[in-house]
Amino acid sequence: MSTAEYESTAEYEGDVTVLEEQFTEQKSVGPIELESQDVSVWFGKRKVLEGVNIACPKNTVTALIGPSGCGKSTYIRTLNRLHELIPGAALAGSVLYEGKDIYDTDIDPVHIRLQIGMVFQKPNPFPSMTIRGNVLSGLKLSGLKRDQHDDIVEETLTSAGLWNEVKDRLDSAAGELSGGQQQRLVIARALAVQPHVLLMDEPCSALDPTSTLKIEETIRELSKDITIVIVTHNMQQAVRVSDYTAFFLAAENEPGYVIEQGPTTDIFGSPRDQRTLDYVNGRFG
Amino acid sequence: MTQVLDREQIAEWSGQQPQRPWTKKPARLQAWIAVAALLPSALVALIFTYTEIPGPILLVAVFFPLQLLAAGIAAIATKGRQGAADSVIIVLSVGATLFSFIILTSVLGSLIVRGIGALWGEDGFRSSFLFQNNVYINPSTPLEYGGLGHAVIGTVLIVLIASLIAVPIGIATAIYITEVRGRAVPYVRFFVQAMSGIPSIVAGLFILTVLIVSGAMNQSAFAGGLAYAILMLPTVARTAEEVLRLIPEELRTGALALGSTRARVVLRVVIPAAKTGVITAIILGVARVIGETAPLLLTSLKSDQTILNPLGNPIAALPTYIFDNVALPYPGAVTRAWGAALVLMILVLILFTLARILGRDRLNRFR
Repeated sequence: MSTAEYESTAEYEGDVTVLEEQFTEQKSVGPIELESQDVSVWFGKRKVLEGVNIACPKNTVTALIGPSGCGKSTYIRTLNRLHELIPGAALAGSVLYEGKDIYDTDIDPVHIRLQIGMVFQKPNPFPSMTIRGNVLSGLKLSGLKRDQHDDIVEETLTSAGLWNEVKDRLDSAAGELSGGQQQRLVIARALAVQPHVLLMDEPCSALDPTSTLKIEETIRELSKDITIVIVTHNMQQAVRVSDYTAFFLAAENEPGYVIEQGPTTDIFGSPRDQRTLDYVNGRFG
Repeated sequence: MTQVLDREQIAEWSGQQPQRPWTKKPARLQAWIAVAALLPSALVALIFTYTEIPGPILLVAVFFPLQLLAAGIAAIATKGRQGAADSVIIVLSVGATLFSFIILTSVLGSLIVRGIGALWGEDGFRSSFLFQNNVYINPSTPLEYGGLGHAVIGTVLIVLIASLIAVPIGIATAIYITEVRGRAVPYVRFFVQAMSGIPSIVAGLFILTVLIVSGAMNQSAFAGGLAYAILMLPTVARTAEEVLRLIPEELRTGALALGSTRARVVLRVVIPAAKTGVITAIILGVARVIGETAPLLLTSLKSDQTILNPLGNPIAALPTYIFDNVALPYPGAVTRAWGAALVLMILVLILFTLARILGRDRLNRFR
């Protein structure tokens, strides 16, 4: 798909063009790193998702879009076994990470979560720790050994676009930061353990446009080395950062389905389902 | 057409002074407030001077209703019906606060008035009362001699033993309820709740029959500490549970998402985040038991000597020291009892302050 077609599908201008050029570079599709097969999800007796098949090739960004309450966040939590922490949660199907089912009985969820990191919608820095402590908390909590802590702090905070704002007060409380800064801090925290996959559940919903742009740059930068799955309500963001997009939709009192998925340019440029077309053009949701 | 910041105006604005216009009240309101505030007090003062009605009765039965009425009338006159409800609630809450403040200060006041004689005499500050013990002292010995040093040591020892037992178990119980969330949670909660209803003398009786009468141990600081631990445990467990429950779920999920084990989530994230609250739980546990007399009468008895061995012999403690002295027909002994009560209060105050300082969280100081 050419750049011209691409531009016709979404409208933006100015500083985004730099990013845009990067995205249109075609990546060669690598091996599938994370894949869900026929995943259905229940809370108690209520089935909230049905038959989700999404494959994420290595070092790509997959965006999950769809209206509120269609199961995107629920789905993303099944990918690193956080779903099972909710009382009454149940699941069918399988999630393959590097070819192995992460729900196999002999798999340790702690090990899975260490390799498949997550950033949440609401910033959740640890209030009892300093900014530096928060960045390094993943290493302490997982018992992972990495040297040169100062370098890790600088490197990850720079990737998260926070370094310049906090470099002089790394030892003050994380709670003193603004909401947007806290969110970038937890992104840095997630990066410090060097995950292979990063799940992001609406990471920018609490951020200002400048921070959002920084995070999007970070996502693009990171996707050279890791696989990213991102839930977003911002259609432009999905276009800007993702290689693949899956569109979730749930009718009232029915489980959510993936209505359509594929390369982001196709989902936004030439969707085959009428509902996808309506959604990406902002006609409902 | 938009408006753009006018640079010339900036000089004008720099001359502005900070003001608080919301503190100003209209003159009519101010007059009513003055009347409503002064009239009831003046009236009660008059009644107090010309009649024999005792002060406390006047305060509760005359002044308080009168003040309510005055505030209500003033509010109706200036702000209408809704203002009246407002002012009645303000008077009620201020009144209730004052009432508890009066009770607290009068307890403290009577302790100081009656107990200071033991600590302070014509010869100045009597450190002997704090540091000496009760050996060779009888109820009629002058206050210059002897003291409650042995009882302070006894109380500290007993409370320390109780804390060493009850605090770890209490916090572990709270962690089981809020963090482990095992299947037995409803039963554990039920038993903790039931345990907090155990009368203190029953705790003493339990230790007496099970451990002392059976010959397993002597009446000692350790036996007293065990009885105290029974009383302390539910307070620590329930308060710690409340505090851990306040820690947002996102912190736990966040830590798990970083590849943390359950144990590390609790030890490195949840407990540090709840540190101040956990220390409050411990303080409340200590405060619950430190003045308990009944269990000690059965489990640690009393002694006149300074005893440091927690296992061997009966030992003195402040509550039992007070209990022994206060009913004696000698003014000196009664003064000693009040002095001991004062020392107990000061001890609690010191413990609380210490715990507050220890629990002060450098990172959470803005909360």
